[in-house]
Amino acid sequence: MPKRRDILAIVLIVLPWTLLITVWHQSAIAPLLAIRKACHHLVKEIFIIPERLAVRRHRLADDRAEGRREAGQGADSKEYCSSDKDIVEVVRTEYVYTRPPPWSDVLPTIHVVTPTYSRPVQKAELTRLANTFLHVPNLHWILVEDAQRRTPLVSRLLRETGLNYTHLNVETPRNYKLRGDARDPRIPRGTMQRNLALRWLRETFSPNSTQPGIVYFADDDNTYSLELFEEMRSTRKVSVWPVAFVGGLRYESPKVNAAGKVYGWKTVFDPHRPFAIDMAGFAVNLRLILFKPQAYFKLRGVKGGYQESSLLRELVTLNDLEPKAANCTKILVWHTRTEKPVLVNEGKKGFTDPNVEI
Amino acid sequence: MRSCSWRCDCTEHDLAKDRTISRLREKLHSLLEQTKKAEPTKPLKPPLPTIYVITPTYARLVQKAELTRLSHTFLLVPQLHWIVVEDSPHRTGLVSEFLSHSGLAFTHLHVATPHERKLQEGDPSWLKPRGAEQRNEGLRWLRENIRSQEGGVIYFADDDNTYSLQLFEEMRWTQRVSVWPVGLVGGMRYERPIVEQGHVVRFHTGWRPSRPFPLDMAGFAVSLRLVLANPEARFDGDAPMGFLESSFLQSLVTMEELEPKADLCTKVLVWHTRTEKPKMKREEAMQKQGLGSDPAVEV
Repeated sequence: MPKRRDILAIVLIVLPWTLLITVWHQSAIAPLLAIRKACHHLVKEIFIIPERLAVRRHRLADDRAEGRREAGQGADSKEYCSSDKDIVEVVRTEYVYTRPPPWSDVLPTIHVVTPTYSRPVQKAELTRLANTFLHVPNLHWILVEDAQRRTPLVSRLLRETGLNYTHLNVETPRNYKLRGDARDPRIPRGTMQRNLALRWLRETFSPNSTQPGIVYFADDDNTYSLELFEEMRSTRKVSVWPVAFVGGLRYESPKVNAAGKVYGWKTVFDPHRPFAIDMAGFAVNLRLILFKPQAYFKLRGVKGGYQESSLLRELVTLNDLEPKAANCTKILVWHTRTEKPVLVNEGKKGFTDPNVEI
Repeated sequence: MRSCSWRCDCTEHDLAKDRTISRLREKLHSLLEQTKKAEPTKPLKPPLPTIYVITPTYARLVQKAELTRLSHTFLLVPQLHWIVVEDSPHRTGLVSEFLSHSGLAFTHLHVATPHERKLQEGDPSWLKPRGAEQRNEGLRWLRENIRSQEGGVIYFADDDNTYSLQLFEEMRWTQRVSVWPVGLVGGMRYERPIVEQGHVVRFHTGWRPSRPFPLDMAGFAVSLRLVLANPEARFDGDAPMGFLESSFLQSLVTMEELEPKADLCTKVLVWHTRTEKPKMKREEAMQKQGLGSDPAVEV
């Protein structure tokens, strides 16, 4: 019957194409197999469409491994043909920074301001911070080094993460009266760096711009949940939430009344501060930053714990605050601190190779 | 174009269709042959060996924070299976909830460290080896549940260290035991194996280099195959200080067999960070007055 023949014809048209696609997929390995035939090489490809390639060669003769690194894209065009019959394993590794998520036109951008400074744990801190940020859509990382110039360590790290970033630097003036590399203790750590980021934002975005944005001050040793970023994204003016491990408590939190308004602060340390909140406990709408260009963190003469208030009082009143994290009942950010590593065995002259970056 | 000789129903009306059908059948046949040649007898294997990460963990204030930021790293690593082993007589709600929302493939185990092996309040952290029972429990689960043909590599990742994504790709193709430098450990900027002509010849370490394997837990990975082939290999909880890793590795591999990674052990891809214990003086004072923070709020 004609109908059955039609169906059969359609099936027989579709099926070869399906098979063809399957074979084509597998034959993406075919050019490499051709190389194998040509040069007695064993090629193992891990990712078929790598974005970043590091071609590493190991000579596997009698189960011994010997490596010679050749980095960068295009290295595959220089395939090595050894005259001896060693099996050479070419391992293409795609370092998995294939995130961040694609940029969205509708989500407000979260501008995360992180001051940072050189010390042994810096690269580790920034690495695990980046691993968190790689999950957050529309995140723009503003990393500000407390340094005379931008360091290669941070530049390289930022580049390799694949994140959307801006790399700034400003050096906190040293206190020449104190011995060693001490910074001026009258200027709280990170203040000049955060202020530089605020200035950069004001120079980069105009108040009339329709690009919605949120500004969040994230220190490099805290721990942030992914949920936190989605909570802050809806900030209209300034939003607040609890922070764990600050003020000598399990957590500090804004006090929220039945009407959903902040009316005080659940802290032991000076709860009468205008804003008794940690740097990690609030976020500001970018528009507010742009409309109040004189609002900065106060540089000098700031009592301990009043840094945040010095900025926020220029921006909002208590009544304007938006409580997040289920009316400030959930912990979404922890004020963790990393121990200073004990480097006793380095001695005076240093035991390890200073060229190896940690 | 062949004639449809094997058809007996060739009327004028259907001839063209039959020809198309036969042509397509030939094409199908040749493609099937091609497919068979490309992948002879093996079924389609998963593209990457699984990395089984065994993490011992215990309840303390920073536990949830540590697990949270660790999970963010692991979420970026393909084919990773997280085996979390609590030092506890039972699974806790905090860790159960956390794991089920983490988005990771996980196994949640628990085993309590015997009291005499536990660190007491005030003991320095290095006094007793920690996590031995929990890591052994992770190994037991793997031995009972995973078949060796599946391939894979086992990595012991403590919950307060910091791991780069690159590290996992370095360890993924481990044949026996692979090694690499670890930052911020042994009282130095980093410790590392010394590699000459592609082999580990000795170890650059700040403490007792004469140990069989003077490296940190974070500095090696073992192939699943090797662990399954050596059912007696385990961590000795009674091993002297610093010998925990050796107690496991010496039954599995010799120094000559170690596979050096991270650019012949010249790059630091993992750091032995430690998190401060948060100061709770005010909390304790408040609790004495009956005004402590709401314990129902989980930190």
